[in-house]
Amino acid sequence: MKELKISTSWIRGVVGEALTPELAVNFACAFGTWAEGGPVAICRDTRRSSPMLRAAVAAGLMSTGCEVIDIGVCSTPLLSFAVRELGCSGGIAITGSHNDARWNALKFLGPDGPLLNPAKGEELLDIYHASSFAAAALTRAPAPMVEPNFEPRYLEHLLSSLDLDPIRARGFRVALDFCNGVCAGIAAEFLTKLGCTLVPVNAEATGDFAHAPAPAPANMGELARRTLESKADLGAAFNIDGDRVAFVQEKGIPLSEEYTLPLAALSRLARRPGTVVTNLSTSRMIESLAHRCGQSVTRTAVGESYVMDRGLEEGAVLAGEGSGGVAALPVSMTFDALLTLGMVLETMATSSASLAELVGQLPVFAMLKGEIPCLPDQAYRTLEYFRLCHDGRSPDCTDGVRVEWADAWLHVRVSNTEPLVRVIVEAESEGRAGSLFAEAMELARRALAGSRGAHHA
Amino acid sequence: MHKPLSLKIGMGWVRGIAGESLTPQLAASLAAAFGTWCGKGPVLVGTDTRPSRDMVTQASIAGLLSVGCAPVCLGIVPLPALQFRLRSSDAVGAICISASHNPVEWNALKFFGADGIVLRPNQFAELIDLYHQGVYPRVKAHEIADIRHDDSAVARHHECVLSAVDADLIRSRRFRIAIDCCNGAASRAAPAFLRSLGCDVIEVHTDPAAPFPRNPEPVPENLGALCRAVRESGADAGFAQDADADRLAVVGENGEPLGEDSTVALSAHHVLSRRPGPVVVNVSTSRLVDEVGCRFSSPVFRSKVGEIHVLERMLSCGAAIGGEGNGGVIYPSVNPCRDSFVAMALLLEALVQFKGTMRDLRRLYPSYAIVKQRVPCRPRDAASFLRLVRHLHRNDELDVSDGIMVRWPDRWLHVRGSETEPVLRIIAEAPTEPEAQALVRRVLDYLRPLI
Repeated sequence: MKELKISTSWIRGVVGEALTPELAVNFACAFGTWAEGGPVAICRDTRRSSPMLRAAVAAGLMSTGCEVIDIGVCSTPLLSFAVRELGCSGGIAITGSHNDARWNALKFLGPDGPLLNPAKGEELLDIYHASSFAAAALTRAPAPMVEPNFEPRYLEHLLSSLDLDPIRARGFRVALDFCNGVCAGIAAEFLTKLGCTLVPVNAEATGDFAHAPAPAPANMGELARRTLESKADLGAAFNIDGDRVAFVQEKGIPLSEEYTLPLAALSRLARRPGTVVTNLSTSRMIESLAHRCGQSVTRTAVGESYVMDRGLEEGAVLAGEGSGGVAALPVSMTFDALLTLGMVLETMATSSASLAELVGQLPVFAMLKGEIPCLPDQAYRTLEYFRLCHDGRSPDCTDGVRVEWADAWLHVRVSNTEPLVRVIVEAESEGRAGSLFAEAMELARRALAGSRGAHHA
Repeated sequence: MHKPLSLKIGMGWVRGIAGESLTPQLAASLAAAFGTWCGKGPVLVGTDTRPSRDMVTQASIAGLLSVGCAPVCLGIVPLPALQFRLRSSDAVGAICISASHNPVEWNALKFFGADGIVLRPNQFAELIDLYHQGVYPRVKAHEIADIRHDDSAVARHHECVLSAVDADLIRSRRFRIAIDCCNGAASRAAPAFLRSLGCDVIEVHTDPAAPFPRNPEPVPENLGALCRAVRESGADAGFAQDADADRLAVVGENGEPLGEDSTVALSAHHVLSRRPGPVVVNVSTSRLVDEVGCRFSSPVFRSKVGEIHVLERMLSCGAAIGGEGNGGVIYPSVNPCRDSFVAMALLLEALVQFKGTMRDLRRLYPSYAIVKQRVPCRPRDAASFLRLVRHLHRNDELDVSDGIMVRWPDRWLHVRGSETEPVLRIIAEAPTEPEAQALVRRVLDYLRPLI
């Protein structure tokens, strides 16, 4: 099977297999048609395949009459900022984000900078599938593709949303693992402005990733060691395009990426009370924290575009997911690792606490995650089986099947990015989580066996 | 009624209206097919100054990268300089993005092999087969090459062309030359080249950022501004190039075009005056070249129309010089392709040796009148039309190797289907214009019921 995933806000695939220049040209043509010829900003990450996709995307956009403004190698949140500042009709970030180096993707940003919301994304897909692209008469000289330097304005924007003096007073030492992605240069600048010392890890922007790019404890061994060795106040692992982050405590203990959103909320809700939006699969820590501040949490389907779209609709102050992606609204229109890091440093500074002490303020839950390979045609049956088994508890079927108990929840859904069914369980005690998880995995296996049987029959 | 098709696959090139039939999808796939044909390695990419150049270039770069080739971007570059660079580099091929003399809305990809020569018909057929098969050996992400840049092509090419003539001798004459680059690929290179030959240069349309000020084909009706510049500045001659700078037209010191056919004839005159040798031109080129060959006892061979046919014939007979009546001069000891820079250098050197004016040089040979006529004709109908022409001239001396060529002692008539447009081309040459007109009119009248 050729690995290609298409959603309403991105296309993602293995380069050289499903993700070809022709596919990128077609999507860029569809996007240029959708953007109605307005200026479109593009950027790329450090992957070896990104210049190829950049060329294909630029060609497609130009053929539909769009002016292409190339921001160069930079993070997705910086591109989002540029789209907003330049009043672009949209943006395309060429980045495989947290996927490994075989992959790459195009992320589509709408006007004002967020990922295309589902309604806009469906329009884009309709144009793509109809293959009726705008064809500009290319008879006048195009504006040359430039790489405007947005770093200073973007940094100023981030800094203006933070309480700088307390952070500067603390003079933090921060170990940062860039996984050879796009953020090394700008993060150094950012931390200097915050009076912090940077301990860089895997900072060379080579695109040859030192480890799997998803910010998760399994990939944070080197960072944990460097955090401890350098006596840093905290460690932070960024993904390739700088929209997700996970942290390491000062003793060198990695935190699950589920902690990123609640840690950011400590800062954000203290400064700006309001609603928090997250997805159905994210830890309940965020509810405990928000309720403590008298705020509510809204849950949506899994995916940045769903979470951000609801956040913007509800005027939320914070939106994020258990994957480590967090946006402080309306400061950022996409998840932003740099700003998230800034918010955590801010909380540590204003509350004179270490990261471990902040973590100590968060409620403790046990979370278990599992995945079961599953072909798309088996997925629906599996979910349906779960829904029937838990019918008595009125499951939430917004995105897969989610079942709640007073002390626990279970979420079973089909992955957006891989041919998998994901099973996530969270409970107040490890024992309870363990038994719910075992039960769920067994159910899933039974459902799949049934669907395979039916398939072969 | 169908819109006439603009996409045209010709000899070594694919041409269309940018954004309409020449889409980025097509360019990316063709480049991937070409990369497949060449094999992994550096591939030069150069363009003229058309507004669609970036779009087509970026698509081509993406296609090349996807199959493991390393694009080497030459930017805006005269085609002969690109071909020269190709031969002197380790590149496995090149793509030139230019629709040459076609109007601005057109663009094309032209493909060259490692020898610097446009793909031969059998090679090009292989490329198009690969394209139609549509399965390219895409490389994995970690095998994708870097994009490189090379801005040395123009300087290297200049150096080589200058070494082929007595540059000091030319400099000593301090010519005043007006040059019209049509704001095309040679807009920077051509004035600099002429200055390096000691010329006082009057620049006409040499802004690569400006749109084409005229139809890029360097035929007399498009050269008004250059003729004026020659008259007003008292220049010794005017030179006009097309957008990719492979063709050259010459304007005499009186501000009147010499006619496209003079370029190859006078270049041949100069080369043969030093060392006689075979000359190859296509069947549609003026009899002027025969007069030149006759003067220097050198044989003149005729090939089918198309640069590659002329060149192949030249290589097989060891020609001293050759080219096409449209202003394309091929001087194989410098660059085995049409090269307007070579033509300029040869003509200036000829002028020094001749010790007269450009008009006088031209007057060494008689004048012929050439009349060209286009008749709308779908490619599928061309053969029937040609059969009729053949019938009309069944009692005359015929050559049917490329359309229908009819020759008489002092005149000829050539009728062929165009490779680039859905038209039938009728060309006649005779001592006077009414005589040439009469040859064309006879064909037109005969075909009238069908047109």
